[in-house]
Amino acid sequence: MDAKRIAETLHPLERKVLPALRKAFSFGDIVKQSGLSDVEVMRALQWLANKKLVTITEQTQEVISLGENGLRYSTEGLPEKKLLIFLGDSKVPLTRLQQESGLSPEEFSVSIGTLRKKNAVEIAKEGSEVTVKASGFGKKFVERETFEEKFLKRQFPIALSSLTDTDKLVVEELKKRRDIIKIEELTVRSVALTETGKQVLLLGVQEDAIDRLTTQIIVSGEWRTKPLRRYDVLADVPQIHPGKKQHYRQFLDDVRRKFIGLGFQEMTGPIVETDFWNMDALFMPQFHSARDIHDAYYIKEPKYSKTLPADLVAKVKAAHENGLKTGSKGWRYEFDVQRTHRHLLRTQGTACSARMLASPNLKIPGKYFAIARCFRHDVIDTTHLADFFQTEGIVVEKGLTLRHLIGLLKLFAKEFAGTEEVKVVPGYFPFTEPSAGLYAKHPQMGWIELGGSGIFRPEMTKPFGIDVPVLAWGIGIDRIAMFKLGLTDIRELFSHNLQTLRKGGKE
Amino acid sequence: MPTIIFSLKDLNSLLHKKISLHELEKLMEFAKGEVENYDEQTDEVTASLDDTNQPYLWSAEGLSRFFKGIVGTETGIPELKLEQQREEIVVDKSIHPIRPFITGFIARGPQITDYMLKQFVQLQEKFCDNYGRKRRNASIGLYSFKRIKFPVHYKAVNPESIRFVPLEFDRPLNLKEILAEHPKGKEYGHIISHHDKYPILVDDAGKVLSLPPIINSNDLGKLEISDTEFLFECTGMDEETVNLGTIIFAYTLADRGYKIEPMRMKYPKTETITPVISEEKTKITHEQIKQLLGLELGESEIKKLLEKARYDYDNGTVTIPPFRGDILHPFDVIEDIAIMYGYDKIESQPMQTFTVGGTLPLQDFLDKVRELATGFQYQEAFSTVLSNKKLINEQARFQDAGTVEIENYASEIYSVVRTTLIPILLVLLSKNKHIDYPQKVFEEGIVTRRHGEAVIDYEFLTLASTHSLVTFTEAKQAANAILASLGMKGEYEELDHPTFITGRAAKVSIDGTEIAILGEIHPQVLENFGLELPVVAVEINLTALFGMKK
Repeated sequence: MDAKRIAETLHPLERKVLPALRKAFSFGDIVKQSGLSDVEVMRALQWLANKKLVTITEQTQEVISLGENGLRYSTEGLPEKKLLIFLGDSKVPLTRLQQESGLSPEEFSVSIGTLRKKNAVEIAKEGSEVTVKASGFGKKFVERETFEEKFLKRQFPIALSSLTDTDKLVVEELKKRRDIIKIEELTVRSVALTETGKQVLLLGVQEDAIDRLTTQIIVSGEWRTKPLRRYDVLADVPQIHPGKKQHYRQFLDDVRRKFIGLGFQEMTGPIVETDFWNMDALFMPQFHSARDIHDAYYIKEPKYSKTLPADLVAKVKAAHENGLKTGSKGWRYEFDVQRTHRHLLRTQGTACSARMLASPNLKIPGKYFAIARCFRHDVIDTTHLADFFQTEGIVVEKGLTLRHLIGLLKLFAKEFAGTEEVKVVPGYFPFTEPSAGLYAKHPQMGWIELGGSGIFRPEMTKPFGIDVPVLAWGIGIDRIAMFKLGLTDIRELFSHNLQTLRKGGKE
Repeated sequence: MPTIIFSLKDLNSLLHKKISLHELEKLMEFAKGEVENYDEQTDEVTASLDDTNQPYLWSAEGLSRFFKGIVGTETGIPELKLEQQREEIVVDKSIHPIRPFITGFIARGPQITDYMLKQFVQLQEKFCDNYGRKRRNASIGLYSFKRIKFPVHYKAVNPESIRFVPLEFDRPLNLKEILAEHPKGKEYGHIISHHDKYPILVDDAGKVLSLPPIINSNDLGKLEISDTEFLFECTGMDEETVNLGTIIFAYTLADRGYKIEPMRMKYPKTETITPVISEEKTKITHEQIKQLLGLELGESEIKKLLEKARYDYDNGTVTIPPFRGDILHPFDVIEDIAIMYGYDKIESQPMQTFTVGGTLPLQDFLDKVRELATGFQYQEAFSTVLSNKKLINEQARFQDAGTVEIENYASEIYSVVRTTLIPILLVLLSKNKHIDYPQKVFEEGIVTRRHGEAVIDYEFLTLASTHSLVTFTEAKQAANAILASLGMKGEYEELDHPTFITGRAAKVSIDGTEIAILGEIHPQVLENFGLELPVVAVEINLTALFGMKK
């Protein structure tokens, strides 16, 4: 960037500091010259250095600075001086002098000692009383400044290396007294203009360039008469974070949109389900091994639901026991009616499908889907959560066959997993016949199971009074989400890492 | 879903055909199963089988019998030749109320090897656990034939009246002691422990064979390598399961070259010869096949496919192989036609009827609210629904709002359904103390509350904001802005709530119904979560709000 351009970009603080550098080289001088605060000068110098207009060199030195007492004495004068002034021409008893001089006992004794050493006071003993009186020499003292006083009035810090021989004697004296001066290590910054810096100064830095555009400046037309400062548009700015949708929910939103696009209506159901809707209505026998206590979470209280439709329960019971005149033998065991009312956390989205089939709102032909939170009794690890999602659905229509089901599965694989390399293989679910599993080929991981499907068994649909085919399917959407989002740990779907959330899912 | 292990070489020899691992993988699809693993060193295949109703496939013998049909070396129902019955089991009437059914047969053939024994034990365990309802409905025992004095007696006895040494033990115990001390007694004892008498199988000399369904005796009940003759028995509560287990084992042993000699079961009033070879038949029609599969198949093709699946077929009548207990409905047979036809050969057909897609009105509403929250620069979070009372009621100091608790939780961290989202967002903030501020997060999601006997899901929207200057004002601004955007206005009232600072919390109602709470989180709660900056939170019941909008 050329010097002119730089000159126009300078910040108001830089505009004040840069001219000061004509005369000042130390930090303290610049502060004085520019009339800015220490912090402002620091910031401006840093910016100028970034723009390579100045170089800042740092040196450590031993310096003298004033201690607590030193600071006070530099304005109030030394305490021995105060004593002499208090004495004036009179002779004062030592005890009274101590009480009325306003000095601390320590200061008082040091002051008396100093004055005595310099023969500035006369101390006499009169009877039981000790008296003090200024000597002639002492009186002269009052009129002129001592070396010490002169020294204290100088600008601190003072480099130890810059002291004259006289100064050194004074410093030795002052060091003996408490907290007047201290010697410390100090980093001293000296600033020098670079060639570019000098050029910019030569071009002239207008101190009154407009910085922030205010209403006043706009309305008054002041902007016509003064230059608008150029900003460094390449400089970094503090980050802000927009409110974003969570990555997994956004994925599920997309899934929902796709289903709607394919002509599916959304359906739902409660997460606290009953054995009835979750399993019995699906023609899963009550003794089925997947209904073990180790697979589902059962609810402590209330244990049983009071809202199941009794007539439907009776039909489902009959379907389990004897097939409900569907041409089926049924499971041939005694159905436990109390158990069917047992509350549990939904283990499969198919519960939503069962509720839909029983709903008066069911339309035939109709297509339905649910994105259902489900729960399984599992140890949490990179591939298992106690709490997961299934997308589940049904197509209810006269004349549907396994051929339609296979077509539907291939469509889903394409829409949701983005692959046409799929295979449909025989599968098993207690509630479908025939049943099919859907696999898709993942470029790295080989064949991956996407979901299961089938045509609901007559024993399952008959209790609902449905006599047309119902194609049913479930897709493990969590797994597809992990592929799409590039995650390897299922727990990252529910990440609580704010940085991950702000970045949209990836660590 | 059972998982079994067998040797690939063994499967090949049973099949009389050498198949590769790849071919096996393909064949397993027909069996609704999958090869999970193959160990080249030991030649061991680990396979899982999905169909919990087809126990006849849970062994190398069963799979090979099924695969023979597919590869075409043997089709139709395999024949099971039975020898002349000679021995019997006498069933005492005392057993009837306890474990009424028993079957048995004698197998004679090759010397049993260690591998074969493992296979038999595997099938026995899978059958009894996965299909026999953990031995309740059926349990199986195998015994060395030569030392048994026939007939065998099946009866119920006083548990303290008999002592014997169970397998894996070296001292005699009475039956009660076996239930209390033996690992199998502890595991399965509940099946019989509520009876006064326990089942027992003894030989004619009074020596114990086993305590069904718990454990065999260490004497007669111990099968030894190189035995060539043994007794099979199956007892249980369900006659059908007992018969099925028996026929599956008879076929399995016949596949291994054993001759099966049936036995007479002499019940007090009746007698049966087991194994019972059923000849169940069902009818299917071309119309049903077309209706279910969408395939138009000729009579000869149907016959070919069914025989491939090891059925017999003649003019609409299907005979079901005796080892299959899974055929409830003609559709079960028709599925097998489709499987043998090949799912990969079935041409797919598109849906033809147009239907209108759409979401639920509540879902639309929730999405709209989520849009609003992101518009206020809140970052969306998404958490699991399961939580715990310690977090909600102790750390976050919420009163119990009708918590639904899980009876059999796996981990206490996930032992209840959440009743509020505020503690969840506080956990989130506590995990992100090193991330730049301000931090504003929200979650929309289900909470569940119990009201007496009813359990209700609610959709909640919860927002939390934290930075050094945050105050109640920000919470109220957010609540107002959301309500206003939905065209609603709430009435504020002071709220005394331990989660919030008193005097800096409010509840919002519309038409007298509480729809939101908000406020500055109490410093004690902040401390409980290790939070060092002030936090405000707003929680809105969207389900209630949605109800009002309608």
